[in-house]
Amino acid sequence: MSVLVLVEHTEGIIKKKSFEAVQYASHIAKQNGATVTAVVLGNAQSSEIEGLGAYGAQKVLYVADARLDELHARAYAKALIVAAQKEDSKIIIALHDINGRAVAPRVAVKLKAGLVAGALSYPDTEKGFVIKKAVFSGKAFAFVNILSDAKVITLMPNSFQLNKAEGKATVEKLDVSFDEKDFGIKVKQVNKVSGEVSLADAELVVSGGRGMKGPENWGLIEDLAKELGAATACSRPVADSHWRPHHEHVGQTGGTIRPNLYIAVGISGAIQHLAGVNGSKTIVVINKDPEAPFFKAANYGVVGDAMEVLPKLTAAVKKYKETHK
Amino acid sequence: MKILVCISQVPDTSTKIILKDNNTAISSDGVTYIINPYDEWYALIRALELKETGVATDVHLITVGKADVEPIIRKGLALGGDEAIRIDAAPNDAYETANYIAEYAKSVGYDLILCGKESIDYNNGTTGVMIAELLDVDYIGFATSIQIEGNIATVNREIEGGEETDTCNLPVVIACQKGVAEARIPNMRGIMAARTRPLKVVTPTAVAPVASILSYEMPPAKAGIKLVDPDNMDELVELLHSEAKVI
Amino acid sequence: MNTTESVKAIKGGEFLIRETAAESIFIPEEWNEEQLMIAETCTNFLAQNVTPNLNRIDEQEEGLMAHLMEEAGNLGLLGISVPEEYGGFGKDFKTAMLVTEKLGAGHSFSVAFSAHTGIGTLPILYYGNDAQKQKYIPKLASGEWKGAYCLTEPGAGSDANSGKARAKLSADGKYYLITGQKMWITNAGFADIFTVFAKIDNDENLSAFIVEKDFEGLSLNTEEHKMGIKGSSTRQVFFNDCKVPVENLLSERQNGFKIAVNILNLGRIKLGGGTVGASKDVISLAVKYANEREQFGRPISKYGAIRYKLAQQAIRTYASEAAIYRASQNMEEATDMLVESGMDSIKAKLKGTEQYAIEAAIIKVHASETLDYVVDEGVQIYGGMGFSAEAPMDRAYRDSRINRIFEGTNEINRMLTVDMMLKRAMKGELDLMGPAQKVAGELMSIPDFNAGEEDGLFTKEKKYIAGFKKAVLMVAGGAVQKLMAQLGKEQEVLMNLADMLIELYVSESLQLRVEKLVGIKGEEATKEQLDIMRVYISEAAERILKSGKEALNSFAEGDELRMMLMGLRRFTKTEDFNTTQARRNIAAKLIAENKYCF
Repeated sequence: MSVLVLVEHTEGIIKKKSFEAVQYASHIAKQNGATVTAVVLGNAQSSEIEGLGAYGAQKVLYVADARLDELHARAYAKALIVAAQKEDSKIIIALHDINGRAVAPRVAVKLKAGLVAGALSYPDTEKGFVIKKAVFSGKAFAFVNILSDAKVITLMPNSFQLNKAEGKATVEKLDVSFDEKDFGIKVKQVNKVSGEVSLADAELVVSGGRGMKGPENWGLIEDLAKELGAATACSRPVADSHWRPHHEHVGQTGGTIRPNLYIAVGISGAIQHLAGVNGSKTIVVINKDPEAPFFKAANYGVVGDAMEVLPKLTAAVKKYKETHK
Repeated sequence: MKILVCISQVPDTSTKIILKDNNTAISSDGVTYIINPYDEWYALIRALELKETGVATDVHLITVGKADVEPIIRKGLALGGDEAIRIDAAPNDAYETANYIAEYAKSVGYDLILCGKESIDYNNGTTGVMIAELLDVDYIGFATSIQIEGNIATVNREIEGGEETDTCNLPVVIACQKGVAEARIPNMRGIMAARTRPLKVVTPTAVAPVASILSYEMPPAKAGIKLVDPDNMDELVELLHSEAKVI
Repeated sequence: MNTTESVKAIKGGEFLIRETAAESIFIPEEWNEEQLMIAETCTNFLAQNVTPNLNRIDEQEEGLMAHLMEEAGNLGLLGISVPEEYGGFGKDFKTAMLVTEKLGAGHSFSVAFSAHTGIGTLPILYYGNDAQKQKYIPKLASGEWKGAYCLTEPGAGSDANSGKARAKLSADGKYYLITGQKMWITNAGFADIFTVFAKIDNDENLSAFIVEKDFEGLSLNTEEHKMGIKGSSTRQVFFNDCKVPVENLLSERQNGFKIAVNILNLGRIKLGGGTVGASKDVISLAVKYANEREQFGRPISKYGAIRYKLAQQAIRTYASEAAIYRASQNMEEATDMLVESGMDSIKAKLKGTEQYAIEAAIIKVHASETLDYVVDEGVQIYGGMGFSAEAPMDRAYRDSRINRIFEGTNEINRMLTVDMMLKRAMKGELDLMGPAQKVAGELMSIPDFNAGEEDGLFTKEKKYIAGFKKAVLMVAGGAVQKLMAQLGKEQEVLMNLADMLIELYVSESLQLRVEKLVGIKGEEATKEQLDIMRVYISEAAERILKSGKEALNSFAEGDELRMMLMGLRRFTKTEDFNTTQARRNIAAKLIAENKYCF
């Protein structure tokens, strides 16, 4: 019996969050006396593939089809089903990210399996197969019990500390015969936001709100983000006013992020905004209004004018990096 | 071209979540229910736009729920749509919901199925994908714009670190987010028409549950905030490193 | 709304002498699904288009207000009360009131909207002939044309009929040439259609005309600089032999004043609706601020002095609202009954509204003074920020003030309240004499201590209200008897009587509202509303006592005075209770919900 994990890579390099998924699968496998089989689709570098052993995978199955370097959910789901049949897998793990969320539900349907989307905990097998996830945009948590024999889980990235260990995985080729309809979606154009850290996976985020007064002041945010190696985000009014691109909008009707550090500058902290960021490990609020509701949700706060505080903070980060090389 | 828009009922965005029945349920006392914003502002409005520009002939709204969801269905009809369907069921999870919707969709035959990227109550985003799988069609999620020409859908969607333009043949299921359309306020004509537009109730074929929520929990109370003097950013950096351990 | 014979609505003014069954009134907690959708459209419209632009609106950014009116027109909001044959939605009066209430939080926009849909459209809708209605109403309902109303002049405000604007027939008999100066004209800066009042030749009474902005001889002065509603266009309009085609005479010659009065009845109750909407919005802002602002380590909403204010704001608003929707329903029912009996629908609407002109005047006074209280304490709760133009209370405070002045000053409306009551009594439409004599007789006898009376949830309050009626009848009866024809000149007494009537009507409306609500939701779920009722009535009793005493002392003397004062005290006596705790309960709910929630 094997726990199956869908592994993602970008241009051959395995994503850090996929190691998290393998580690998560490994924990479950140990619970159930099973092994972990990682499934890699498309052309990942072999050194990368071998590295999966260090996070708990005993075997890696790879499908060498170059078409799979891009997301083709029906093809991915098909490959996972073939792998599941081969490895006698009843538990399938993917990530709760754009790709995983397009694939896991298909696998769940094919296996008539219960799916927990956005797992935050390991399964608790005392009362069944119970996994914790966030609901109501992070205002509460739900404990979901999977009743079916087969089980599919998408793991919320950045939920568990990553611990590299020792271990090697055997690598095996997997043959899957695809149909034309598995590649029914044609990619016409890709626009990557160049040179910046992707917001969805960023560990550090600096975000600006209306308190920044105008788009012309965003250089201060970008400077701090650059110094920290952070992604940039913004509140809804900022996106609605077209000061920043809409993909930066985080909040209830924008993106949901769970970075390790979220620095909110000039954002008052309305409930709808908090819904998008309340999964952050640490929140720092910089606002000149001491009554701003965001301070109630923050770990650290600075009451001051963003225009003055930002350069000081950027300088402090820079100084810190130089003295801690 | 027939479009099916999947809408679901959720508590409004400012609702305070209160647990009841020994934490096994969410209290509905004093809760205002709305259409899931992603379903309403993006999926439904885009469908209506496609009808207004002559691309679509019919726009149907579908919800899975008991009679208490009918007010929000009528809110949807107040924005537009030719008819609404309520699948009479109280599903435990997305698998059931998807099965009910797919069963109905199959019986009618839709060219395009639109839904929101996820619902703001359970934040799963799985129903649309499951419907696509059950109907054996493609699914495009996190769509930021949708164009339909003839039998081809051209969709911009969010990807990690950017955006991608995809094309695909109809029929297809597309999950919508910001950019697909602009929210509208229902006008008087629509509000008055909502009463007269048909709202069918359909009994689905039962599906065995595969998952259910056992209980809920509230997040732990936040420890008090530590304020740092704006002139002392070195201290903040130190705290973030040694105490919070995030840099 | 179905009323059986036994719970038929009472006539206008009869609240003074008859009881009303709680089941027969309409309460806002009864809105149906469609009405709630309409209300939501109004609220969303403000949130999206008006609230984010309040500064730009107040700066009178070119074209902005006209554009907002068009957006409202696109949503259908300008045609709520216009019959479907003219492109409107023909909705009932209560729905129109609900729209006015929800848009009431729209500051200057609210005024532009009300002026356009009320005085800007209704004169033509109610008094126009078919050709006039066909020509003007559809475009007014859609917002393509904007409406304004020219009655007031520099020298003719409260005394509207004294206006100097004159109209004379042109030599060829095709035009009326209007000359005059109108002042304080709302929407003038962008209006397409003006309803203008002027006297033809040497007529005693005003006539009304439909004037288009492009008619020769019409010009506008610059915008007035006002204390508040700065975004509302307010200009003087000059007519210099303004050529108005004779077909544009509205209704009959010399019917102008009647038109003005009838439109005013509607305008008064609508003003009530709008100010209640504004009050609720201000209270929500005040609660939110009090919950966020911390001093001495706690949010100021934890302090008793602030809680008192929040409770009082809510109490007065909830009471005003009870009166408004009670009277709206009465007007609607009266209109429906007249239509059923065969009357033309427009005539029925005017007559049905006129029936409750007294209630409309009462509501105008009470609701506008409630809003002024609410915004005043709103500023206070905001403290220093209440005085800052960067926070919302400054605008709320300045925008509120006009409500006590226009649509008939509150002083005029108070006097009209009493005047209309007495006139109806004299005409035999309202039997005040009989009940007043009964009360006078009661003064002589030993008070009935109502031993063994049934002790229901509302027994006390119903008794108090019955007492208030006796107090008013006694003082009014005494005043009429003593002062006779001179009463019209004793304005202070009229004001006292008006205040007593206002407190009576609002108290009763509030009691009935809460009674009906408890019947629907049960006592557990309506604890705060019960507290609101009890506190308001206890305060109303004191106000009625004060006004009554002042009036009695001014016209009565000796034993008669002593006896009536004793009667007044008896009729306004209420049982003491812990009003501070009651207010704390009310405030606690507001604070927990973080908004106006009643």
